[in-house]
Amino acid sequence: MSSTGEQHPSALPPEEEQRAQVYALLARLLAQPPGADLLAALASMQGDASPFGQAVSRLAEAARATDARAVEEEFLVLFIGVGGGVLSPYASYYLTGFLHEKPLAELRDHMSRLGIARADDVKEPEDHVAALAEMMAGLITGAFGDPADLGEQRRFFDRHVASWAGRFFADLEAAPSASFYQAVGTLGRRFLEVEVQAFDMAA
Amino acid sequence: MKADKKADMKDKGILARRDLFRAAGLGVGALGAVAITAGAGAEPAQAAAPEGTSQGYRETDHVRTVYELSRF
Repeated sequence: MSSTGEQHPSALPPEEEQRAQVYALLARLLAQPPGADLLAALASMQGDASPFGQAVSRLAEAARATDARAVEEEFLVLFIGVGGGVLSPYASYYLTGFLHEKPLAELRDHMSRLGIARADDVKEPEDHVAALAEMMAGLITGAFGDPADLGEQRRFFDRHVASWAGRFFADLEAAPSASFYQAVGTLGRRFLEVEVQAFDMAA
Repeated sequence: MKADKKADMKDKGILARRDLFRAAGLGVGALGAVAITAGAGAEPAQAAAPEGTSQGYRETDHVRTVYELSRF
């Protein structure tokens, strides 16, 4: 990424761009296991001494210690499995114990008000953690029209993300079958902590 | 006057927010060469890759699906 930010066509402040990037990365890693190219890019990351920075460094280390095939296997065990993975990364499941419950209906309602829709060929329910992370990224960058202001981002975040995703990331961090994805869990959890703090400050 | 004050407070809020993200390890370049493009209307991932690296992230079927997810 350019340190000047001049290459970015958007007028988004660099720190907001960075937030969108983290959401997009989480969306990417939780939707499908990374291939060799992305693993190589992850391996080159270097975080600073902050908790989030340490999580970045740890993820880089985890990326160096694995390969695309092993990560795919981890992903399958965690999220697909035979008859279901170790974790169910859906808001509805975390909030009610069941899929397709009220939290999903509320999310769909909120999405329609924001003008966001799922494509016809996507089968995953919209409350999958990767879909929610991508929606957050899109709200920040304006992928769904004008960028959403912080108040609008916060309403979406509080209702559909903060209410459960921290617990999901903590579960991912502790998943015995995972290694690379444990580091993804730490990154996600610490990122959400920063997000909560930043939204609180803006209030 | 009132508008000035409001704009001033907004600027202060933006700066404080920037400081918080920087202190929290989310400054520019926090993810190094990793650049993921997501969302409808986004530019091809290659365009977001840093100059001089060949590790630009390549679009996969899944990313395309996520684009689709965001399309309205």
